[in-house]
Amino acid sequence: MSDPVLSVRGLGRRFGSEGDFVARGLRKLGLAPPASVVQAVEDVSFDLYPGEVLGVVGESGCGKSTLGRMVAGLLEPTSGTVTRPDAEGRALPMQMIFQDPFSSLNPRKRVKALIGEAPRVHRLTSPSEVEAYVADMMDRCGIDPSYATRFPHAFSGGQRQRVGIARALAVKPEILVCDEAVSALDVSIQAQIVNLFMDLRDELGLTYLFISHDLGIIEHISDRVLVMYLGRAVETGPVDRIFDAPAHPYTRALIDGVPRLDRRRAIYSPIKGDIPSPVDPPPGCAFHPRCPLATEICRVERPVLRDMGDGRQAACHHAESQI
Amino acid sequence: MTPVLELRDLQTSFEMPEGTVHALRELSLSVSRGEILGLVGESGSGKSLTGFSINRLISPPGRVTKGEVRLHGRDILPLPDSEMRKLRGRKIAMIFQDPMMTLNPVLRIETQIRDVLLAHEKLSKSEVRARALAALDEVGIPAPEERLRVYPHQLSGGMRQRVAIAIALLHKPDLVIADEPTTALDVTIQGQILALVQRLCRDRGTALIWISHDLAVVAGLADRIAVMYAGRIVEEGPIDDILDAPAHPYTRGLIDSVPVPGQRGGRLRQIPGRMPALTDLPTGCAFAPRCARATENCAEVPQLMPFGEDRKVRCVHPLAAGEAA
Repeated sequence: MSDPVLSVRGLGRRFGSEGDFVARGLRKLGLAPPASVVQAVEDVSFDLYPGEVLGVVGESGCGKSTLGRMVAGLLEPTSGTVTRPDAEGRALPMQMIFQDPFSSLNPRKRVKALIGEAPRVHRLTSPSEVEAYVADMMDRCGIDPSYATRFPHAFSGGQRQRVGIARALAVKPEILVCDEAVSALDVSIQAQIVNLFMDLRDELGLTYLFISHDLGIIEHISDRVLVMYLGRAVETGPVDRIFDAPAHPYTRALIDGVPRLDRRRAIYSPIKGDIPSPVDPPPGCAFHPRCPLATEICRVERPVLRDMGDGRQAACHHAESQI
Repeated sequence: MTPVLELRDLQTSFEMPEGTVHALRELSLSVSRGEILGLVGESGSGKSLTGFSINRLISPPGRVTKGEVRLHGRDILPLPDSEMRKLRGRKIAMIFQDPMMTLNPVLRIETQIRDVLLAHEKLSKSEVRARALAALDEVGIPAPEERLRVYPHQLSGGMRQRVAIAIALLHKPDLVIADEPTTALDVTIQGQILALVQRLCRDRGTALIWISHDLAVVAGLADRIAVMYAGRIVEEGPIDDILDAPAHPYTRGLIDSVPVPGQRGGRLRQIPGRMPALTDLPTGCAFAPRCARATENCAEVPQLMPFGEDRKVRCVHPLAAGEAA
């Protein structure tokens, strides 16, 4: 395998603070409630190889968006590192595609400014050629270049998402971080955008960190998958291993819980309970209160991510019994 | 047996500066006791508006301009508002996508349940409390005594939706209209809500209209399915028939747009273009500009015609079983 384009090691992010010395002092004396610190992401490590799609999946509050923002450089990690071994030669090697194409585009800028500004500033194109450059980007993303002088409000949701993608591509990134990039779109438009992502990967050799709560999309688009629960990676590995034989009971619950076209009048037997609050995660394995396999050890000892021998890692004391 | 609800040629229109926009047209469908009808479409197809039209909740500049909404065989459109108010919540209940919007944020759960109970029934304080506890218990809310005292923001999204369902079912309505009730929820929570709704409707014989953009959710729940496009029903029938052998090219396209589990990578078969705006509908079949099978025969709006047994399709070139669009 070639060298990774991105290495993430022990990445973590804490929100909230201990407060100033007065607050700390009051707490010590028992006069103030304990500080609420949320460990949104903790100890996540992975490598991203050129041209691959790493899918990050999990439910709300699992830290997948925080992870994406740290990888894209929009948020400073409080622990761990994001390194790009081969960072030379590209102006902006990483770009992000956001969920909501309505709030991620400046409503007062024309499309040609939205797409053209960054490459002009970074000298990827000369001022005289910027128009042709923008037209090429729009064309590549399936927007009629004659719309370059329009404002975002003149476009539908799917078209806007294409503008967002064209804007990201305009600075010639090698990695795209897509945070729920197709979740807000209608089914038929979703398919168009997913196809566009796959075409761009083939044409430009892009690498994706694709974050979504939608397991159907993740299964379709990913080469490898990282499953998160309450800020930690609970399972990671090749897409076919994860979906054909999940080793972690949470992954299994997710896959079994997804409605499918071929499951008619299904009898749903969902896992019980709510997702715990990340402010106050359960001790031991964070999934144990909802887990059908939980035993004494799960309540006490937090499982670490272990190699399962088939290119996959799972953080479960009972992973072997699952496969 | 008369169906619980029957819509006949319903039309809902909006008076806009640029002219009258017909958001729903020629809408006819029916739901029987204990039946679950999935109403599927993309944004702007009119699926939510159908729910509002049934409940007479369309506000100006919109109004129902044509057709009948028959509840147990009686048209409820001409009823005076006072009569209609007696039906809402008692005979017809609604569940919405976002329970944070439908629950009052400044009232305790108990108050909200009490208000709904007392709107249609005379009950003593202790009866109200007993009914409220039973309702929460039935939707699987743990420790209902404590939950009665909390405010909506103190509950998780899944719990809020359970409360909304409990409130909708308080008067054992004959018809429940659920408008994307699981769209905002996480996968594992969605499974819980689906299981709950399924159990309650089957046990009580409640007729349910499940409005959703998600074909897969409808597949797992519904007995029948109606597919909407640009304000009209384009295909309707038993769920298995339609999902296994769609006759309308749009239904085919929708099904193909959903990634198939087990088939990784590759291209999804997409529908080109997008749904036209209601203000700017093409003459003739609204789907024709996106349709690979369109011919000059599509220049006129096709009728919803019987297709095989117990099915209807609005297309002059319906697909044979297994045929690609």
